[in-house]
Amino acid sequence: MAETIDIRGHGVVKGYAEGEALVADTTLSFWGEVDAITGKVIGVGHPLEGISLGGRVLVIRSTKGSSGTPMVLNLAQLEGNAPAAFVNVEVDGLAALGCIVNEIPMMTELERDPFELITTGDHVVVDADEGVLRVTRK
Amino acid sequence: MELTGEQQAVLDGSQGDYLAKCMRWLVEWGEVMGAKRLIKVDNTHALLPVPNLMAQGASKETMDRYMADLVEACSHGTHPGCTCTVHAAFVTLDEVDVPENDPEQVQMQKDLAVLAADAGFIPTFTCAPYLVGNVPLKDEILAWTESSAVVYANSILGARTTRHGTESAIAASLLGLVPEFGVLLDENRKGTLRIEVTAELEDPPDWGALGYFAGKAAGLGIPVFNGIRRPSQDEAKQLCAALATSGGVTMCHIAGVTPEAPTIDAAFQGDVPEDYLTFDAETLKETYESLRVRTGDEIDSVILGCPHASINELSKIAALLKGKKVAEGVRLWIDTARGTKGNADRMGYTEIIEAAGGRILCDTCPTNMRIPAKRIVTHGFKQAHYARGMVGAEVIIAKTEACIRAAVAGRWLGDG
Repeated sequence: MAETIDIRGHGVVKGYAEGEALVADTTLSFWGEVDAITGKVIGVGHPLEGISLGGRVLVIRSTKGSSGTPMVLNLAQLEGNAPAAFVNVEVDGLAALGCIVNEIPMMTELERDPFELITTGDHVVVDADEGVLRVTRK
Repeated sequence: MELTGEQQAVLDGSQGDYLAKCMRWLVEWGEVMGAKRLIKVDNTHALLPVPNLMAQGASKETMDRYMADLVEACSHGTHPGCTCTVHAAFVTLDEVDVPENDPEQVQMQKDLAVLAADAGFIPTFTCAPYLVGNVPLKDEILAWTESSAVVYANSILGARTTRHGTESAIAASLLGLVPEFGVLLDENRKGTLRIEVTAELEDPPDWGALGYFAGKAAGLGIPVFNGIRRPSQDEAKQLCAALATSGGVTMCHIAGVTPEAPTIDAAFQGDVPEDYLTFDAETLKETYESLRVRTGDEIDSVILGCPHASINELSKIAALLKGKKVAEGVRLWIDTARGTKGNADRMGYTEIIEAAGGRILCDTCPTNMRIPAKRIVTHGFKQAHYARGMVGAEVIIAKTEACIRAAVAGRWLGDG
């Protein structure tokens, strides 16, 4: 049976979502580094370049807040290509705004290091109402 | 967050569903960001753009729903007494022979501009509202989109705004309120990173290089520059734009120069760190090199005016171009606000620039428009940074003189 662990944290933007984890100990700007329609990372040289964020639980250090962040998230959400949830070490206000407007849960302040415990491809349940991540190893 | 009775009533729907939604955005955002209350906002700079090529491949349903939200926003009046300007668009409203300027979306943007104006939004369509009349006073509370303008307003003008997105700026414009957090509060305007500058900063891109270096180092913090002179308006614009590009910076201080930093001590609110970074001549050179990524010297685009050109920049560019011709196959575009172009027309700068084969582009910029450039020379660090991913172009960052020489030669000739 696949190993499952719970990690407690703070639900910044409430809600529930699940999906495959996409993990990178890095920052990402939705403006300029993510294609709004395909949800793919287009930042040249970015560790996630070419990968689609659609439906993924995005585990990164933080987003780099550009004013365009909520707009990109909005278009991506309408196309079904926005991340399912955000798990961030630092909360950038513009991503938080984008999550509120588009009803995407966001968690932070995890009790354990997400970059050690979560690997790309793991199945992650994000319960931001209860403040718990449930990670099932791939 | 504590709401007044009136604010709670709006949240509960006393002024209809849309304003209730706007209030919910501001309240939930405030709660996430640690605000205790909503405060009055004097001035906003909002995004109201049709997405143009940014939404290339989007379904009709996506476009319809996206536009319906903007139309809904513009069907409500802006709050009485609140000055509201509009950020740069993704198209120019002028008729230009540029295929990327999708005529259907231009018409949608024009229709939206009429609705926006009726609602009270001044259709400036610029990323630099402080160049076209939206010049807030010290301590004025703002809700501005455009990260570069946010840094400029906080740092150079001493006004107060957190970094806003589309929805929060619209909500602030309609309700006249913002959640009070971040740099709206004195204690969050304290410097976090000391940078001693020993490099000679000669002109605007040099200040852009300083900002690009400092933004990367400061992340979400507040850099304090020590040891530099007062920048010109164009230099300050480049510094602020680059800070907001490489990092998530909301403001900076320049010791002895900016309104809240009469001394380095004041910039750090009495707590000057002993550790510091140094920006020296070598770092200046390296920072330019970091945005010179090219596999050849032939160029197809020279893009100036990022952020939107001031009248002084247009004057300088016209002087450099006078009597010269831009090389065949090279687009020389200078982006600016419509108000600034009006002045350039009267000063004769537009005629000189157009006679040389250049174009003054209003309301937008080539990166927003997604022009298919292959190799761009520009004097804006922000443009150079974003054009790589958004347009997929190679970029060369350079001073204005070198940009114009490249435009005329059709190839990169070096700094000269």
